[in-house]
Formats: sequence, structure tokens, C-alpha cells
Amino acid sequence: MSMIEFKDVEKYYGHFHALKDINLKIDAGETVVLIGPSGSGKSTLIRTVNGLEEIQEGQLIVDGYDLHDPKTDMNKIRKNVGMVFQHFNLYNNKSVLENIMLAPRLVLKRDEAENKKIAMELLERVGLADKADNMPSALSGGQKQRVAIARSLAMKPKCLLFDEPTSALDPEMVGGVLKVMREIAQDSDMTMLVVTHEMDFAKAVADRVIFMADGAILEDASTEEFFKAPKNERAKQFLSQVDSH
Amino acid sequence: MNDFFAALSADNLSYLLQGLGVTVGVSIFSIIISLIVGSFVGIAMFEKIPYFSSLIGTLNNIVRNLPLLLIIFFTYFSLPQVGIRLPIFWSTVVAMSFFEAAMLSEIIRGGLESIDKGQFEGARSTGMSNKQTMLYVIMPQAYKKMIPPLISQLISLVKDTSLASGIVLADLTYRGQVVYAQNSHYIVPILIFMTFAYFVVNYLLSLLAKYFDRKLA
Ligand SMILES: Nc1ncnc2c1ncn2[C@@H]1O[C@H](COP(=O)(O)OP(=O)(O)OP(=O)(O)O)[C@@H](O)[C@H]1O
Ligand SMILES: [Mg+2]
Repeated sequence: MSMIEFKDVEKYYGHFHALKDINLKIDAGETVVLIGPSGSGKSTLIRTVNGLEEIQEGQLIVDGYDLHDPKTDMNKIRKNVGMVFQHFNLYNNKSVLENIMLAPRLVLKRDEAENKKIAMELLERVGLADKADNMPSALSGGQKQRVAIARSLAMKPKCLLFDEPTSALDPEMVGGVLKVMREIAQDSDMTMLVVTHEMDFAKAVADRVIFMADGAILEDASTEEFFKAPKNERAKQFLSQVDSH
Repeated sequence: MNDFFAALSADNLSYLLQGLGVTVGVSIFSIIISLIVGSFVGIAMFEKIPYFSSLIGTLNNIVRNLPLLLIIFFTYFSLPQVGIRLPIFWSTVVAMSFFEAAMLSEIIRGGLESIDKGQFEGARSTGMSNKQTMLYVIMPQAYKKMIPPLISQLISLVKDTSLASGIVLADLTYRGQVVYAQNSHYIVPILIFMTFAYFVVNYLLSLLAKYFDRKLA
């Protein structure tokens, strides 16, 4: 069954054509990595999946709901589709534990004791149980991102979106975050769509790689095929540039 | 020449303190009403509801650019003409609340806009509704930032109640004038008394603000 399906999707910012004729199907449980040069529309594409950006034409079906249909209740979809951002976006006014417990309490009406138990288990899992009562401002970037991942997981989503989760981190913090993401990909049947420049992560974890440039998908291949020999010229170029870093 | 004892005789003092009571009364009602109305207007402008937000924004701009004294006069003299008869106290409260709501709404809109968009996206991406996001994530952060400008606006509200002495509201300023009109030796003592009284009221207001600031922190 497909978790995410784009059919002839077009997205404009005013007159700027940001997504061009996107056709893409991601099955439940798949881990897909989205790569491409800066400004190619990766963030735009991933943000349409939970309705942070609207599409102007075509169909976008997520978890069985058509996002382009004005009758669709976006909050229902977002309950099942979490997102992890480049700049973490933890609530500045809430402790680490409260960051994780807030949405389950308000949206799922999860019982308070149960909510806390799940939140603490998740903090344990990302290695930050001792930071439960800290404010986000007291955490390092890598720790913030692991809390943000725990916050998304607390909703028990079917699908998780990651938009460059490690790009804002100091190099020594990247490994810890990628490790958590790898564990999620391997231990759960969650669908994951990840925008990243971490090619080693993509090679190790992704089932598929999608390459975008100028708002269009230029290549969509299995991870093995893609890294062995990308068919698209620009994808080739892009890979050689990234590898030389 | 300055006759403190006669100026602040028991009679005069009680007369002046009643005026202070009127000043504080007008201020308290105006603060409560303008905070409520100003919050709604500020949030409405922030939410960018088509037509509605820009209409409110325009009205707001007009009100903010009028002298408060004009609004006080206007309310006092024009409302009776459309059949609304208010005692002078409430007429002043209406005028002050109207004007201050416009001023506060701008502070509130600005405070909301100063919150990083990422805070919204973080909350919305967990399935929280717009209302929940505003209530639990955005407003607590915004109000904390707004407290200093809100308080300085509310302090000028208290001071500006004195403008209503122009329509003969028997507030502290008006009564001070009545008392020192009796005897020129009273002028300086009464002015000193008024200075002290306004200062105490506003100082208490700023203490209250510090208290809320700490509670929200
Ligand atoms: N809100 C917006 N309004 C107008 N144009 C936008 C907006 N957001 C993005 N764009 C434009 O759309 C294009 C795609 O942007 P997007 O952020 O999706 O790229 P990206 O692939 O994520 O790039 P990066 O790797 O730098 O994050 C860019 O040209 C950008 O300038
Ligand atoms: Mg991006």
C-alpha cells in the first residue's frame, strides 16, 4: 500500500514554479532519501507531504487522504505524519519532557501517566533521559535534534519526514542523530522520507534515492543502482561533487 | 508662601483622594477592557484573515493616529446624540478603552510576529490545531516578550486619564485644580501631592508587572 502518492503535482510560490510535474509513490515502510542541489525544491516537496506548503495542481494522497481536497482535515494527517526540521523547532517555553508530552496530551488525549511513561522511554531511547527537566536552551544542537525526533515519535506516526536533520549541527554531533535515525529505520515499519546530504547514511539506510533539480524529479532509483551509476547527468555531477567533500 | 498644611487639610485630602479613586477606577476598567479587546484585535490582525484583518488594521491605524483627548471629547459629546447616555465616568472608560485597545493590539500583534515561524511549524507538524498552537506555544512566548511594552503603555494609560479632566471628570487632576484654584499658595503643595499619587499608582503597576514577568518565566 502506498503511504505517499504524488500525481502530476505542481507547486508555485507566486509566479515561481517550485515543483514541476511531480509523480512519486512511496510505500508504507519504505525509507527514501531525497537529494539535490540547493534550491532544487527538496524542502518544498517534503513540506507539501504534511501540508506545511499547499500544492496548486494535481493530487497528493497521504495515508489515504487527498491533501488538495479542501475538506481534508490537515490535523488528522499530521497526527500520523511527523516532521523533524533542520532547526529543531522545539518549543522554547517548555521543558524537554513537556515538548514530548504536549501533542499526545492535546491531540491524542493520552492518559497523563501513560504519556509520561512513553515520553521517558523515548528519551531513554535517544540517550537523553537525564535531560527530561531541562529547557531546550540548555541543550546542544545534537541533543535538541534527538529530543525533536523523540517528540515526533511520541505521536506514534506512520510516517516521518526529515528535512536536513543534521545540516545545522557541529560535525561531532551528526553521528548521534544519524544513529537514532538508523535505528528507527531498521527497528520500525515507519515510512521515512529524508532530505539529507549524508551519503553514507543514504547508502546504509535508504531503500530508494530520489534526485531533484530545478523543481523536478530527475532520477528515482534503488539505492544500490543509484550509487553504482546514476543514469541522469546532473545526478552524476552532483554525486561527484558531494563525494569530493 | 507654600502652605502645605492648609493645602492638604483633612477636607482637601479626602476630596483629592476621592479623585485618586476615580483615576484608579477609570484606569482599572480601561486596562481590563482594553487588554481583552486589544488581544482579540491583535490576534485578528496577526491571523491575516482575508478582508477582516486588513479592515481591522486600517481602523486601528486611524484610531492610533487621533489624539486621545479628541476621542474623549467625541465619546462624551456624540454618544448622547445617538441616544447613549453614559455617566462621565463610563464615558471616559469607553473612550480610554477604545484608544488603548488600538495601542495594545499593535503591541500584541508585534509580539506574536516576533515568535519564530519554526515554533508554529513544530507544533502544527505534531497535529496540534491552530488554536492549541497559539494557546500553548505561541502566546506564552509572545506575552513574555510583550510585558515591558505593555506595561509602559498601561502606565501612560493611567497618566492619560488626566485628559478627562477636560470634560470635567472629577479625577485626581481635576480635583487638584479645584483645590489650588482656591489659593495660589496651594499650587505647589498640590502639584507635589499629585506627582506623588500618580507615581505610587504607576509604581504599583510596574511591581505587578514584575510579578507576572516572574510567574511567566
Ligand atoms: N516561501 C517561499 N516563497 C517564495 N519562494 C520560495 C519559498 N520557499 C522556497 N522558495 C523557492 O523555491 C525554490 C526551492 O526551495 P527549497 O527550499 O524547496 O529548496 P531546497 O532544495 O530545500 O534547498 P536547500 O538545499 O537550500 O534547502 C528556491 O528557489 C526557493 O528560493
Ligand atoms: Mg531545504
